[in-house]
Amino acid sequence: MTASTPHESSTEPSGTRQPWQIAAERQSQAGPETGWLSLRRTAALGRLGESGLPNTGEEDWRYTSLAAYTRRWTDYLVAPAPAAAPGHPSPPPGVSAGITVDIVDGVLQVPAGGLPACLPAGLTVRSMNPRGPTGPAEDLLRRLDARPADSLVDLNTALLADVVLVTTAPGAHIAEPVHVRAVSRGGPGFAQPRLLVDLAPGSQLTLILEHSGRGGALVNAVADIWLARDSRLDLVRVQSLPDDGMLTETTRIEVGEAASVAVTSVDLGSQLSRHAITVALAGTGASATLDGLFLADGHRHIDNRTLLEHRAPQTTSRETFRGIADDHGRGIFNGKIIVLPGAPGSNATLTNRNLLLSSTAEIDTKPELEIYVDDVRCSHGATTGQLDAAALFYLRSRGLDPATARQVLTSAFLRQGLESIGVPAFRSRLDAQLQARLAGPAAGGAA
Amino acid sequence: MPLEPVVPNSIPLLQVTGLRVAVAGKEILTGLDLTVRAGEVHAIMGPNGSGKSTLAHVLAGRDGYEVTGGSATFLGQDLLAMAPEERARAGVFLGFQYPIEIPGVSNVYLLRSALNARRAARGEREIDAASLLRLVKEKARLMQMNESFLQRGVNEGFSGGEKKRNEIFQMAVLEPVLAILDETDSGLDIDALKVVANGVNSLRNPERAFVLVTHYQRLLDYIRPDFVHILAGGRIVRTGDRTLALELEAGGYDQILAAAAR
Repeated sequence: MTASTPHESSTEPSGTRQPWQIAAERQSQAGPETGWLSLRRTAALGRLGESGLPNTGEEDWRYTSLAAYTRRWTDYLVAPAPAAAPGHPSPPPGVSAGITVDIVDGVLQVPAGGLPACLPAGLTVRSMNPRGPTGPAEDLLRRLDARPADSLVDLNTALLADVVLVTTAPGAHIAEPVHVRAVSRGGPGFAQPRLLVDLAPGSQLTLILEHSGRGGALVNAVADIWLARDSRLDLVRVQSLPDDGMLTETTRIEVGEAASVAVTSVDLGSQLSRHAITVALAGTGASATLDGLFLADGHRHIDNRTLLEHRAPQTTSRETFRGIADDHGRGIFNGKIIVLPGAPGSNATLTNRNLLLSSTAEIDTKPELEIYVDDVRCSHGATTGQLDAAALFYLRSRGLDPATARQVLTSAFLRQGLESIGVPAFRSRLDAQLQARLAGPAAGGAA
Repeated sequence: MPLEPVVPNSIPLLQVTGLRVAVAGKEILTGLDLTVRAGEVHAIMGPNGSGKSTLAHVLAGRDGYEVTGGSATFLGQDLLAMAPEERARAGVFLGFQYPIEIPGVSNVYLLRSALNARRAARGEREIDAASLLRLVKEKARLMQMNESFLQRGVNEGFSGGEKKRNEIFQMAVLEPVLAILDETDSGLDIDALKVVANGVNSLRNPERAFVLVTHYQRLLDYIRPDFVHILAGGRIVRTGDRTLALELEAGGYDQILAAAAR
């Protein structure tokens, strides 16, 4: 447990102005923007001015301080003549037989000939450039505006450079996985990737969203996702930022009637990562699975906050989160299930399994259930422990030395966390990255 | 009592002398003597709580057992001073009463690692993929196991019988010098028992020895032991040939133990 400073300010004013004010002013100097965004930017800045960025005085943030994150941002803001490193950093390898979409520092990269040429029928990927003629459809904006205010989402809205919209046509089954590579070029940029994903009724999509970047990467990502009736989304979210990367990320998913979402979240890299994911089961018979995996080795601080909200009858959720903390790593998992009065006949399970591999590592876990209706089945449990002594002896009795036996069991634990990924090539790539990390020096190389 | 070697001039593989072992301060083995020579099959029988599994675990090097007296040597080396993996590499194999499930580690991975650890200890090169596959397939056939299990997690989702069969399969691949099989027959139906016995019998040879730890003599209908030892109160109270097991079957442990006490 860390002692939290009750009134710690996670922002450092530069003069009397907050960093987002400075950043927003610089941005507005680039020229006028389309109405849909400028109105929302102003509103977001107004709310930010009142709320400030999250600080450890808030219950949801008691384990994770944004002080170093804000300090880095302030340093980047005062850095003379923001000279972004030339060229694009090399993104992680794409998935063969898949569609690759690149977002660099939050901006969609459109290949020569345009994106539509690369996309199968029934799938669109478009940039809602702030200075472009059009914004998202009215209906989508209405849904976006209806989402609860959140200071990190407001920060993203206030400073984003682009909005990437992914949509499917009704009934379209997109066979190829779409691999969105969100790359940060590092200082002095503060990347604000913003993704809107809208699945039409009866459509199906597999989406891989991977955050990576150069040293010093600072990212505040937001993904807003809607699944209409009978649609299905397989979402693999990965962050493989460099060892000094910092990421805050908000994922908000709303699942409609009889639609289903399967999310796998993997935290491989970064110095600081905080991912908040909300899945709202909003339509009758909606279902969600959420599998998570993090490896907090070296000096990583990895915070995952999940909220599964059952709003409609007969909704189902199954969540399995696993984590490893080693060296001086710190892992935080807070998983909450809420079953609202309108969700009778719902079924929710939450399992959290953690491995603590060193006495200097730490894992804080808190599964929570809030149930406001009878006639539901819910279960949750969390365990944090060392490797199973019986399994270790079994391997040693077959001739494996203790260090190898431990590594084999650790990698098996991690591998199980990848089993929910339905794209074999991508799963193998992540597996290889994890195995290399376990085999490598304790501090772990960049993923 | 001194035992005549079954194989003339065979060397003692395992020599246990006056072994005393305590668990959590309670003495379980109270001075156990046992000599196992190459080529022999020994059955160790006894009622529940007599110390059978303790003996198997101590010989394999499991934690939690305190040796308070006596000795055990394997090929002249101090077995009790060796780490579990050193014993395995030297050729000691323990067949577990309750084999462990290890999801995420495939059976074939475990076999390759185990085999290579043993080969490295003998100064041999790692086995190549083709030879491993050939060996593994041959042994899987022997144990009537479907090859698809090789890519699955170790014992993952296996029935009790499948787990026991997998233990003997591992043994067949690793070709140990001394195999200690702890209650390998428990939980097996008659067909599985025959497969397991067949696996053991196929590995019998003049250089190798087996110690079968068992509660029931049923296994001994299929694997004919050279010696049968009755373990009670933490030591061997009677030793005989396989007719002792039949005597036990007819009269039960009470009668044998009462006779031994006289």
